[in-house]
Amino acid sequence: MKKMCVVLEDREIRDNPFTPDMFRIVRRYPLTNDVNFYQARPVDVEEALKFDYKPGQFVMMSLIGEGEAPFSLSSTPSRPGMLEFCIRNVGTLTSTLHGMKENETVGIRGPYGNGFPIDKMLGMDILIVAGGLGAAPLRSLLLYILDNRDQFGKLTYLHGARLPGEMLFREEFIQLKDREDLNCLLAVDKDDTGKWPYKVGVVTELFKDLGPVDGKNTFGVICGPPAMYRFVTPHLVKLGIPKHQILMTLERRMKCGVGKCGHCAIEYLYTCIDGPVFSYWDVLHMKEIIGRGVSDKTIA
Amino acid sequence: MMILKMKKEDLSTFLDAVKEWGELWGPTKKDGKVSFSKVDSLSQMDLKATRTIIPPKKFLYPPRFTMFDFDENGYVERTGDVPKRILFGIHPCDIHGVVIMDKLFLETYNDPYYRERREKTLLLGHSCIPDEKCMCIATDTDFIAEGFDLFFTDLKMSYLVWVGSTKGHDLIRMKPELFSRALDKSDILNYTAYRKWKNTQYKTMVDFTGMPDIFELGYSSQVWDKLGDKCLSCGQCSMVCPTCNCYNVVDDVELGSIEGTRDRFWDSCMFREYSLVAGGHNFREKRADRLRLWYTHKLQAYIGEFGKPACVGCGRCVATCPVDINVVTVADALKEQEVGK
Amino acid sequence: MTRQSPKVGVYGFTGCAGDQLMILNCEDQLVDLFGATEIRSFLMAKSDNHEGELDVAFVEGSISTDHQEKKLKDIRARSKVLIAIGGCACVGGPQAMMVGDGKWEERFKKVYGNAKITVAKPNEAKPIDAIVKVDIYIPGCPIDKSEFLNAVSKLVAGKHPYLYQFPVCNECRWKENPCILYAGKFCGGPLTKAGCGAICPTLGLPCVGCWGPTDDLNVTSEYQLLKEKGYDPDEVMKKLRKFGGAKLAELVKDIEKKGAKA
Repeated sequence: MKKMCVVLEDREIRDNPFTPDMFRIVRRYPLTNDVNFYQARPVDVEEALKFDYKPGQFVMMSLIGEGEAPFSLSSTPSRPGMLEFCIRNVGTLTSTLHGMKENETVGIRGPYGNGFPIDKMLGMDILIVAGGLGAAPLRSLLLYILDNRDQFGKLTYLHGARLPGEMLFREEFIQLKDREDLNCLLAVDKDDTGKWPYKVGVVTELFKDLGPVDGKNTFGVICGPPAMYRFVTPHLVKLGIPKHQILMTLERRMKCGVGKCGHCAIEYLYTCIDGPVFSYWDVLHMKEIIGRGVSDKTIA
Repeated sequence: MMILKMKKEDLSTFLDAVKEWGELWGPTKKDGKVSFSKVDSLSQMDLKATRTIIPPKKFLYPPRFTMFDFDENGYVERTGDVPKRILFGIHPCDIHGVVIMDKLFLETYNDPYYRERREKTLLLGHSCIPDEKCMCIATDTDFIAEGFDLFFTDLKMSYLVWVGSTKGHDLIRMKPELFSRALDKSDILNYTAYRKWKNTQYKTMVDFTGMPDIFELGYSSQVWDKLGDKCLSCGQCSMVCPTCNCYNVVDDVELGSIEGTRDRFWDSCMFREYSLVAGGHNFREKRADRLRLWYTHKLQAYIGEFGKPACVGCGRCVATCPVDINVVTVADALKEQEVGK
Repeated sequence: MTRQSPKVGVYGFTGCAGDQLMILNCEDQLVDLFGATEIRSFLMAKSDNHEGELDVAFVEGSISTDHQEKKLKDIRARSKVLIAIGGCACVGGPQAMMVGDGKWEERFKKVYGNAKITVAKPNEAKPIDAIVKVDIYIPGCPIDKSEFLNAVSKLVAGKHPYLYQFPVCNECRWKENPCILYAGKFCGGPLTKAGCGAICPTLGLPCVGCWGPTDDLNVTSEYQLLKEKGYDPDEVMKKLRKFGGAKLAELVKDIEKKGAKA
């Protein structure tokens, strides 16, 4: 096996950036009826601790004979040795992946993308807003901050899901509600169980329960379905968070992950190398990003 | 840069000699099909042909090729099977195109497939006569100062030969007696006369000044919808453009086994499937949006980043699009646009 | 390989059986094909056929009788994956070129007169997805050997086949052909799925569209273009509809609605 990519900056450390390394699926269980949780580590165990990455980065995952697609990492580099993913069964590759069992192998190369600007976020308050599958990359950031809790200010985590049964990492997040060092607020659009003890309503409803926010010293971080950005961003702006401190992570089709294949282009930027984390200020310059017809009037 | 002089009648001898380094390829014309083909000698080439249908990017990055062989244990890179080639007769615009491709494929992450082909392909440029579709004068790509190994400027009686690389110099050294350093005043006069004459040959006039701003102003212009209604989404513009690099990747398996290949093939942002993500959401469902992306990349984004357009003025889109959507018509339409709401 | 070979059925309805013939014509790979799969039913190739549960059913031909409709529904009910092979199954084929013009009975009478058809009740030819859900389409008239084998290989390995979705113009440029349409002559390329390797244009002939329409075709623009180039609108319409089947018929109606024809 070839040398693994050690840090993002060392882009030329590998001879062929397209060669996947083989990873073994060591755990796999359903999070909801169409989203599975996966843990994977290199087949070559010696390489496991060398795989370093930043929260917000992604990898290209190959299923032999099926193809390759990008997936964001849900695990945190502060707990090395194992990569974690939560993956929805939506396409050809993910449906094959969902049919795979523990101990089977997949190809992985990366990590790719800019990730969250952790250096700039140190010492700041962090307000994370996750919707649906958006929790996948944001869990990486959340766990990273919890593992380095003293390096950040106030931490708030808002998470919205359609139904209680569709909330990713539900039990894990409910447990976080007991912690003193973060404010974890959960909401479901609709409670079909009748037993949901927390907020019922869209994720933006949670902003009412926030309490005081020191906007200038806060980083707001959003990930969720396209429509969510439109609804959540105005709330963050209203809290006084500067536009360059509102971060969004975006999803696009990708065939390379390294700025060659063109698929993830958004106007003049590539999601894979210029993103997937963009600030709201970047986004304002990319009219195509959240959808046609979105102007300052609707999102600022 | 080193410039040498060569008698015109010696070119054939020179090309015969350099075949020792690798296969000789040049522009040929057969049944209306102008392409770079493998040839035995200069006599099979058509140096008067203005543009090949597909630019020389096909040598550095073929329409479809295998990246990996795989089995259940993993992926094994497929490189090393590329022949050494000498491409003779490449025009300045196409060399500019290669220089842009070099940026895309060799900077940041280095693409080993492109790199291998680039290293095994020598570019021997040749001066050209612009036709009615050429517009390299507007994109500042009518002459070339980098990216080639040798460049031959035809001055009727003789060639002036620019030596652009050590590999190019090595070719010269295979037949040094054909080249001379004895350049005189008449060469300067002939060369300046040639440049002056070339400048008068252009018929397609297009002005790309201020394009990034014009694109920004015209983002919501109805021009895009009108062009979108016309566009056939055939993707030809991407295939023939020297600076279109987009590709798709697919795994194929052999019958009754899990062994197979991972192939890469040319793709186009004009295709509906291009921006489609799993789950069915398409970021560019409308043809107008896809067209805008294509032209934004050529005439706005690249200028913003590198100060010049990612259009090399070769005129291939002009000579290909059945419904007349090309850099000239798009730039003109945008400039005379009515900005939509 | 521990994977079990998939149970396969190959069926034909209204069509020339050319696609089934093409499967049998995969001479070099035929032994592998029969080895890698368990062919339960293939009337054209063998006599001991068993109609039961299937992993993959390949269906050729359009549906033109009530009897066929019933049989197709039965195949669907017992197949995990149903694949339409060939233009007739995918879009209706040449027999569906007039589909939806309201004159089917008139045409039927012209051909069959007052003859009593007792075997089954005939209907206007439809693509199979008008009756049942189709998982994968392998287009072509007839299908291309390598495209077919490629898809089968993937299915046998438990993976999803990939077929080109873009127009044949893409492959045509890969072959470095000059554009026929650009030269002002009729060519169905921009409307037609790739996969054939652009055989016709490579031989200097226009694309007649036998791979069927793409999912993203702009038939209005092509129609207008050809009209501008001096083609007779009725002729263009005939050419476009030859292999376009039911799908193109819908789009052509659109042109008429928009008044592009006038």
